[in-house]
Amino acid sequence: MVFNSLTFIVFFACVLGLHSLPLPWTTKKINLLIASYLFYCAWNPPFVILLWVSTVVDWYAAQGMVKARRAGARHAWMVLSVVANLGMLGYFKYGQFLLDNFSAAVAALGIVYHPAHYDIVLPVGISFYTFATMSYTLDVYLRRAAPAQNLLDYALFVTFFPHLVAGPIMRPTELVPQFAQPRRASAQQLRFGLALMTLGLFNKVVLADSFLSRVAERVYDSDKIPGTLDAWAATFAFSGQIFCDFAGYSTTAIGAALCLGFAMPDNFRFPYAAVGFSDFWRRWHITLSSWLRDYLYIPLGGNRHGARRTYAALMATMLLGGLWHGANWTFVAWGGLHGLYLAVERALRARFSNYRPSPLVFVLLGLLTYTLVNVTWVFFRAKTFGKAWQVLRGMAGQNAAAAPILATFSLITVAGIVGALVLTHWLMRSRTLESVVARAPAALVCAVWALMAFAIIIAQGTGNAFIYFQF
Amino acid sequence: MPSSISSSDAAVIVPAALPPVSAERAAAADLYARQTAADRPGVAQPVPRRPVPEQPWGRILVGAVVILALLVGGWEAYWRAYGVRPSLANSYGLWAIERRRIDAGEGDATVLLGASRVYFDIQLKVWERLSGRSPIQLSFEGTSPLAALEDLAADPNFTGRVLVGVAPDVFFSGFEFRGGAIRYTRKESPSQRIGQWLSMTFIEPFFAFDDPDFALQTVLKRQPWPKRPGKQWFLDVRKLSETGLHRDTHMWSKVWTDPEYRALARSIWHQDFQPSPDDPTPEEARKTEREQIARAAAVVAKLRAHGVKVLFARLPSSGEYLAYENREFPRGRTWDALLAATAAPGIHFQDYQELQGYYLPEWSHMTRAEAERFTEALYGIIVRDFWKPDGAAAPPAAAQR
Repeated sequence: MVFNSLTFIVFFACVLGLHSLPLPWTTKKINLLIASYLFYCAWNPPFVILLWVSTVVDWYAAQGMVKARRAGARHAWMVLSVVANLGMLGYFKYGQFLLDNFSAAVAALGIVYHPAHYDIVLPVGISFYTFATMSYTLDVYLRRAAPAQNLLDYALFVTFFPHLVAGPIMRPTELVPQFAQPRRASAQQLRFGLALMTLGLFNKVVLADSFLSRVAERVYDSDKIPGTLDAWAATFAFSGQIFCDFAGYSTTAIGAALCLGFAMPDNFRFPYAAVGFSDFWRRWHITLSSWLRDYLYIPLGGNRHGARRTYAALMATMLLGGLWHGANWTFVAWGGLHGLYLAVERALRARFSNYRPSPLVFVLLGLLTYTLVNVTWVFFRAKTFGKAWQVLRGMAGQNAAAAPILATFSLITVAGIVGALVLTHWLMRSRTLESVVARAPAALVCAVWALMAFAIIIAQGTGNAFIYFQF
Repeated sequence: MPSSISSSDAAVIVPAALPPVSAERAAAADLYARQTAADRPGVAQPVPRRPVPEQPWGRILVGAVVILALLVGGWEAYWRAYGVRPSLANSYGLWAIERRRIDAGEGDATVLLGASRVYFDIQLKVWERLSGRSPIQLSFEGTSPLAALEDLAADPNFTGRVLVGVAPDVFFSGFEFRGGAIRYTRKESPSQRIGQWLSMTFIEPFFAFDDPDFALQTVLKRQPWPKRPGKQWFLDVRKLSETGLHRDTHMWSKVWTDPEYRALARSIWHQDFQPSPDDPTPEEARKTEREQIARAAAVVAKLRAHGVKVLFARLPSSGEYLAYENREFPRGRTWDALLAATAAPGIHFQDYQELQGYYLPEWSHMTRAEAERFTEALYGIIVRDFWKPDGAAAPPAAAQR
């Protein structure tokens, strides 16, 4: 189920009620586990089997690693875990993509091959929970973490509903220790958790779904050619939409976990105030970028083998990171552009290592970063390269004869919401939400909370799925 | 050999040009500052910190709930004063409930398909009173019924009868304003089914403002914003109906009691009567008409092979709407061609005295009282000339078709 649904409100109220009963801690954990499976089954019940497969394989792989006496055996258990997880991911997420590309490749050689269309349904959240379970076996393999003490704690780590389907991608060392001792939210945690959930849902239901998504759709899902203003407005709208959608999900998830007494990591840190692309990736989808860094970039060699190998590892990481988002070459192009940006930035830093920008240049570099990030969003949002080029040509002023697509209201919406969003990120770039809330007058916090909840209600969201569910 | 997690390596993720605030200074300025996984490359990540800002959260929560209740109460009062009453949302979830009746033992029922005229103008309670059974209402406003008809033809559980409304501008253009219902029904998750039930049980019957026409974005969008040069301005269709259980729907009273609102509804239809740059060329429009008729012929043949009876119905329109339909979709080229291609019977309102003379405030739909009277007349014609009532012998006209 999605957080922005009546079903979730009832579900969450039941979970909170159960969790506050004076029951043994093990019983409470079993309740949370069952609730998490119900949360997942509410989409498509049969796919819970995949969740069990992933859980059981990695549990036994980690146990096998611990008991293995030879390095080869440890290695084999790790390979089993990786192959099982990536195999599931590969089949369900990339199966049709691989077949289509194979037939296109052999067609280029003059061989006609038409594979059957399997219409494989993508299990919700498979990219997230396979990465979470892989981090468990990989941390055990790398001797960074001890295996979980019992299957219940481990299964709950994999399945815990706030992070299950769209992250933040949690590491076992972040969550499993929290299951060791009884946890129950204090009254303050519960109230602040509810406030965070309201903030997250406001981002998703009001800003992303009600206002920004429609503007992006009107240009990106239309066969009309966009002019300069429409192309930029739609792309800015999407930049705001995807942030509000995904950061909204993360904030709601963090709030839900806090209401139950658990802590989840930050996933966003005001990314549109980033200066440079390495800074951007320290602020955007932090749990994915750090996962890719720890389990892909560093094992690929990191910077240990000279500049050429470093750039190759960097580019490979970003290309695969792009592909993680979806089985489409446009996502690979998105990752490739970010890889290119990072490589150029790295080279420039090496060349101008002593350069320190003035405050004005610093802000201008930040705006340049945001602009270039928007160029990458074109490939992320467009369903085909044809559409992406069409929008990019519009952004470059090459579609001069294009008729206007967006109405004044849409343009005002984008300017108002995205402008305020970027400004907020700049004001908050070195702060935390908590510090700002702590300094604000209580009456203001109260009014803002009520207004956000009111906006959620009158926006009448239709329970649209979060964008990252499809990844 | 440098470590794989040396600072230079971390520059892949960690920028060299960090903002000119050190971590120590930031931490000193911000008691809630904390590291993230981005700050700790290549190590096991610790249990996160999740501090709660110091505030009187109990009082804040109570205050927020009170303010929220006042705001929602005010919003509800505003829309009730505007003339809105609570009614069910015409959602895909509500449509799915009716569609599932066919697979849950009502496969021999009469199904109503069409666009908004069938949806508003055929009153289910009247039909049920006359026939003894409630028909299944699967019409959707602004949506060609052909996809739903094809869905029924593919369903072996369906053995009943179908009344297919033909609104010329929708049917012969293949337009689908609400074209996602079938796909939604097939893919509806348990969570969505529960959500639909919760909404139609605890929310929609009690809150008038819970209507897409009064959603925040919709209300803001229809304010008199300056018009963008070169951009054609279209008013979206406003609320015209109220819906109850089983999608039993009738015209919203404001449409006929409020002259200003009625004029607004007419002006919205009027937009369609004017040429638009987005209109297809006459050749394209004719081609689409032929495709829709061929599509209808194929699906009717399939239904007929299953023993399903199909009856087309052209429900009344009036005023400028009727003039527009006659001009753009002349009967000979559309309605008559449809009946000829499908070899199915049809009821055109202009062929029956009993189906004429009704009051259509905005030229396209009837008031509730008129719709009740119309349903009675239409049902009478159907059982007299086309379909036998349940348990009776087939009328001669139907037996021939």
